Amino acid sequence: MEVPVFTFSLPDFSYAFLSVLLEGMPFILVGTLISGLLDQFLPSKVMLRFLPKNPFLGACTAAGMGLIFPMCECGVVPVIRRLIHKGLPVSNAVAYMLAAPVVNPIVILSTYAAFRGQGALEMSSLRVAVAFLVAVLVAMAVHNLPLRRVLRPRILESVENLPDGELHTHYHPIGLLRRLRAALHVAVSDFLDVMVYFVLGVGVSAAISTALNQEVLLPLALNDWFATAAMMLLAFVLSLCSTSDAFIAATFVAFPAVAKLAFLVFGPMLDLKLVFIYSSVFTKRFILGLAVGLFVLIGLICVRLSVIGL
Amino acid sequence: MTLSARRYFQGASLAVWGVVALSFYFSSRVASYLHPGFHGWTVFSGIVLVLIAAATVFFPVEGELCDDDCGAAHGPKSGWGTVLTTALLIIPLLGAVMISPSQFGAVAVMNRGLADSITDLPGYVPFTEPPLPNEDGSIGPAGQGADFGSYLNKSADGRIVASTMDLLYAANEPGIRQDFENQEIEVIGQFFPARKNNPTGDRFSLVRMFVMCCAADARPVAITIRAPHPETFPDMSWVKVTGKVTFPTEGGKTVPVIVADAVVPAETPPETFLY
Repeated sequence: MEVPVFTFSLPDFSYAFLSVLLEGMPFILVGTLISGLLDQFLPSKVMLRFLPKNPFLGACTAAGMGLIFPMCECGVVPVIRRLIHKGLPVSNAVAYMLAAPVVNPIVILSTYAAFRGQGALEMSSLRVAVAFLVAVLVAMAVHNLPLRRVLRPRILESVENLPDGELHTHYHPIGLLRRLRAALHVAVSDFLDVMVYFVLGVGVSAAISTALNQEVLLPLALNDWFATAAMMLLAFVLSLCSTSDAFIAATFVAFPAVAKLAFLVFGPMLDLKLVFIYSSVFTKRFILGLAVGLFVLIGLICVRLSVIGL
Repeated sequence: MTLSARRYFQGASLAVWGVVALSFYFSSRVASYLHPGFHGWTVFSGIVLVLIAAATVFFPVEGELCDDDCGAAHGPKSGWGTVLTTALLIIPLLGAVMISPSQFGAVAVMNRGLADSITDLPGYVPFTEPPLPNEDGSIGPAGQGADFGSYLNKSADGRIVASTMDLLYAANEPGIRQDFENQEIEVIGQFFPARKNNPTGDRFSLVRMFVMCCAADARPVAITIRAPHPETFPDMSWVKVTGKVTFPTEGGKTVPVIVADAVVPAETPPETFLY
């Protein structure tokens, strides 16, 4: 019997939609609670103190900072904008911006949980390793670019006119209780902001995963190159949060692991919502170059990983 | 929009999500959506969200935070932005809670395709028969000891109570297959009409959903039932099949086919997923 390519069922859609919301929401909640605490209790100058002056070592350190200062891709952009404004090298900021949404303990745990039974250890380890590598490579490329090609004029102007004064942070001289309440306020705002994108992304994902006859995807899934490109494009459109995107990637059971890995690395670095958020810091031309560069670099690395049997 | 109004909108969004999470947990509805490993997260997030919602409404912090252009994500500032955010957070969630039947229908199963081999499932590792206790209770080398068949669950009338996963494993593992082959069994699952290989119209698939984390990643696994006569149960309704297990070779692979004596409607089991 011939099965149509697309057959939408509202009950099936709502069932899949609700199950992913229930599954991913607690991880977003924990992530935003931590980000609220970091916002209030860890001044950005603490981060700067630990960054080496050498550009490569600085990029490596910044790319690994997410392990100590975890941030999701939505929250990290305002942070790096502030850090750039106060003197953080742009290459280090880019390394942190690209890596922190993946190279952080919450995402590592959620990836491991989502891929339980599907090579959880390999997938979570490789996700971190590839994201780290890509973030450092892009950071080194940015280090060799003139700032005017990278930063928006308003941000560039603030960097060039950088005063020698104290770094601005969220750290104001207020009491513990008020600071906790302020952290909660930041966490609530971040949670609600991220959940909006999450709800929309899960909606698209649930529609595709329940309504699309997955047999039509099988020809793409059988070829590592096509599958990897398709999954990265899907990650771009879905614009999922890195704390829960692994649960959605794991549902594409027909696709090879390298394609799911590309989805998990590319999505937190560049998606539809990030294009708009990045525009508050970077030039349009830089964002375009970043998009193409990430697509090619991550695609090549992930496809090559098939040689190790992933 | 005033700051206090924005606070109420935020509190409402948090409260709705928290109450939904708690209601799913305490009504046990969560068991139809998530792997048991995630149930604790559901109740935890529900409690935290309700507490945060109360704190947001009753303990405002406006005016105490930095008010410069720091760029941190402090939420939408405009009135329409706040209303839209709240609507996007609440309406789809409540809509899904009301519409969702807590199980997949035939459309999703058809689109995902039926896995009829244990090797099609994520996480499959070849079965290694464990050492079983001998008559005196001592543990002997692998493959020896008491009869494996004596450890199978049996119904009051002596039939083996099996699951679709047991039979798929048995089809792939000769050592297990011999314990089931030509035995009288009973098995429950969801009725799904046969889409192929059904020339006489008396076959259907008995489906269970195999889940790794949540229903969204559910993979339909199926065994074939040959009924005494063509059956017309509603798609994906729960049925109990009793009959004899056979393992013919179809399409080049060994598959389980139950030659049924009877197919009757069944209650939805407390645990609808297979893990």
